Amino acid sequence: MASRFSGALQLTNLDDFIIPSQECIKPVEIQKIKNKVGSKIKVEDDGSYVEMTQDGPLTKLQKVEITLSDCLACSGCITSAESVLVTQQSQEELLKVFQEKIENLQHSKDNVKFIVVSLSIQPILSLAERYKLTAKDAALKLSGFFKSMGADMVLDMSVADDFSLLESAKEFVERYKCSKEGLNNKLPMLACSCPGWVCYAEKTHGNFILPYLSKTKSPQQIMGSLVKYHLASSKGLSPEQVYHITLMPCYDKKLEASREDFYNSLKKTRDVDCVITAIELEQMLTQQEKNLEDFDKGEIEKPFQVPEQLTDVLLGHQGSGSGGYADFIFHYAAKHLFEESDAKLEYKSLKNPDFQEAVLERNGKVILRFAIANGFRNIQNLVQKLKRGKSPYDYVEVMACPMGCLNGGAQIRSQDGMQPRELASKLEIEYHKLPKSDPKQNMLLKHLYDVWLEGENSEKASAFLQTEYHEIEKMNTAISIKW
Amino acid sequence: MGLLELQQNLVGHKGRVWNVCWHPSGESIASCGEDKTIRIWTHDKSKWVIKTILTEAHTRTIREVSWSPCGNYIASASFDATVAIWDQKSGQFECNTTLEGHENEVKSVSWSVCGNYLATCSRDKSVWVWGMGVDEYECEDVINAHTQDVKKVKWHPDKLILASASYDDTVKIFDMEQHTNHWICASSLVSHTSTVWSLSFDRTGDRLVTCSDDKTLKIWQEYKPGNEVGIPTPDNEPIWKCVCTLSGYHSRTIYDVDWCKKTGLIVTACGDDIIRVFREEGDSDIHQPTFSLVCSMDNAHTQDVNCSQWNPCIPGLIVSASDDGTVKVWTYSD
Amino acid sequence: MLSFIRKLAINDKIRDGLLPNRAMENAEDILKVKNQKELISKDETELKESIYDLLRTIKDPEKPQTLEQLDVVYEDCINIQEATPGGITVIRVEFNPTVPHCSLATLIGLCIRVKLERHLLAIFKLDIYIKQGAHSTEQEINKQINDKERIAAAMENPNLRELVEKCIKEEE
Repeated sequence: MASRFSGALQLTNLDDFIIPSQECIKPVEIQKIKNKVGSKIKVEDDGSYVEMTQDGPLTKLQKVEITLSDCLACSGCITSAESVLVTQQSQEELLKVFQEKIENLQHSKDNVKFIVVSLSIQPILSLAERYKLTAKDAALKLSGFFKSMGADMVLDMSVADDFSLLESAKEFVERYKCSKEGLNNKLPMLACSCPGWVCYAEKTHGNFILPYLSKTKSPQQIMGSLVKYHLASSKGLSPEQVYHITLMPCYDKKLEASREDFYNSLKKTRDVDCVITAIELEQMLTQQEKNLEDFDKGEIEKPFQVPEQLTDVLLGHQGSGSGGYADFIFHYAAKHLFEESDAKLEYKSLKNPDFQEAVLERNGKVILRFAIANGFRNIQNLVQKLKRGKSPYDYVEVMACPMGCLNGGAQIRSQDGMQPRELASKLEIEYHKLPKSDPKQNMLLKHLYDVWLEGENSEKASAFLQTEYHEIEKMNTAISIKW
Repeated sequence: MGLLELQQNLVGHKGRVWNVCWHPSGESIASCGEDKTIRIWTHDKSKWVIKTILTEAHTRTIREVSWSPCGNYIASASFDATVAIWDQKSGQFECNTTLEGHENEVKSVSWSVCGNYLATCSRDKSVWVWGMGVDEYECEDVINAHTQDVKKVKWHPDKLILASASYDDTVKIFDMEQHTNHWICASSLVSHTSTVWSLSFDRTGDRLVTCSDDKTLKIWQEYKPGNEVGIPTPDNEPIWKCVCTLSGYHSRTIYDVDWCKKTGLIVTACGDDIIRVFREEGDSDIHQPTFSLVCSMDNAHTQDVNCSQWNPCIPGLIVSASDDGTVKVWTYSD
Repeated sequence: MLSFIRKLAINDKIRDGLLPNRAMENAEDILKVKNQKELISKDETELKESIYDLLRTIKDPEKPQTLEQLDVVYEDCINIQEATPGGITVIRVEFNPTVPHCSLATLIGLCIRVKLERHLLAIFKLDIYIKQGAHSTEQEINKQINDKERIAAAMENPNLRELVEKCIKEEE
């Protein structure tokens, strides 16, 4: 069975296809009640366990549930088996949430969730290809689909993409300047929007490599902050009253959404509550015996829109299908550091097509060296070179999947036997047909910096647009060692 | 029936010896083991003597040692999760490169026949292919095809094809996709009912023999698309079929097997302390070959035999390694 | 004669100590050892008793009791199987882990193997199995505790080694 997690995640034992009872060592909190006599445990016909006390009632014992964040914290096993991912991230959970909402509405209950769905561009392209629709139509029909299930709003993520790009670029320029002044050399800066890469870095190379990672949040998480802390309040809602679903190209994004850093313990709510992937969406449609085309076109809302700026339904960016980080930061840096407004950006493939390099030259000298490294083997070489101090790069866009996010682990495979690479290339062509957003010119961003973040370098901007990484120590207690 | 005669008993290692490898010239032997050293033995007049002891490169057991096809380099795979590459550029063998990346114990290392690639495998279930970069070895690809530990990797005798044996009871064959330089699994050989410990290609590379914890040896034959016997080849890829199973000969796990490229004889190293030699029958049908046991050396060692290898140049010469801490050189004669 | 045999037997043990420098120069010695092995393997009951004596005092990795006290090992859990063609005794030890938890079951298997291989004064092959039906993943566990490469690598892990040593330590 092909794994929907990236190769990097698989390698660090984060995807073992092992059932929890074998490898999982999550300590369970047991409520101890003083009994004179010990209690007996019986297994019922339906497989559930009940505890019988001497003259008391039968109490059904709760199955220990392992959540994804337990798993992330433990660095033990993670499996793609439904039984482990079930608590937060599966289709069942999604359907349950929609179901609950409908029931609550019917019974006029108070705690009706406001459901928001954010669509990332790669799964949209994947579904468009699968159901033979244009990207725009696919997005609109997805909106129709989610609305018919009970969603309140369906959004695209271009504003979050733009935030992520712009903040990364600003961060790069700062770091570059610092390193040239001899302070704190943390170049190359490494992209961090790929959770497969981030998890691998945290678990395998820890404190050595984490300082090189960019501190800017990924678009998924920026969207999370936007929806829960800006959109919500604009509707008079508290963050926990909003249920935020994202549509993503891989399972790694589910892990990202479960990170403790993106959980508000006060309000007991996550920035992103549920991640659904292209493949899972296809499964849901197939189960309902429907085709995406069957749905009415809904609306992709633009709640943050400024009146002066009309935007298209879907927007792409210049550069790779993974977000275009290398491209945008290259141009931004060329302009802000070297006053080159029209820098020529040409990529050259090195060892393999998943490792590409681009340079900015002036008077025959290389003044900026950027790279795009996709896939685990290239990540491996990059990290090893870094460890030996031999990395010549200033910035590297690192993605765990070969060919980037368009070839994500949970993107739909070709129906006509096309190789994944061919399919990803096809999606890339479609991606580049979309109108492009330029984060620098995006008035909406400026508006949000003012209205939501109270400034570009404010504390709020820091809190909502930046994140941290944590080295995960391997469990070393003898009992938990996997040998 | 053949005869296996002990030529010499090479003592020196402390603790179990896991692996031995002949130099491509057939004139020296490298051995490695639990004592974290590599010992190189050479032939002096008519005796094998210790030439060098390589130390300090590994912090745990060295599991496998392999000479490069040109004979100038040694690669050693260790439980400390690294692979050391030794060269003699300074006149003495020195470890000047270490390959890192595996998550835990590296079980095997193998040089491709052209000398341009190395393959390594580990308990982390992956197989890594390494190639020479600008001035150091770089990871060419990481292959995650097995579902459990990978015990052995071996290259095809003349093509750029890689085979791996695993704790998941299968053997997989990999080759490189031209324009992406990705290594993909071309075939999965499923038949053993327990861990496959080792494998060996025959002289042509069209056949291979595998040995397993299930106490059997299996002979596999490659069938290309359009083969004359009419074996179906789905996806237009060659498939490997198990054409012979030798069971009932070994009483414990078979740890190593080697198919002599010169004589066609097969030697096995077994957990019952016995070294066995098999020969293919002369009138054997290639699609249903028959092999017979021509020699069985009881108590070849006083403990499990971990490795047994034919000399690449001198027919009939075998070197073996055992848990008893010794390396033994044998001559086989019909 | 018996003490000489035992001495030879000890010298052949290499599990985690250092092999003393004993050179076996030729095939004659091999024959000698084989004869001695035959002497040892004849007394099966005595062998089973020595084995059980070593097993019963192994401590459980988590609880303060011994494997005997917890019924993990018991007198009938040892079986002498058919010898190898070369005449080596094959011992089969069965154990019954108290908790279905896998890590503990494999740890117990590891302790049993290390204790016997280190202390048993005999030449033998050892197979360790979980009592049939005692565990849902017994096949996986059996495979792991009988794979000598996994065992060897595990014992090179300092934390694991420390725990095993603690469990198998004979109280004075």
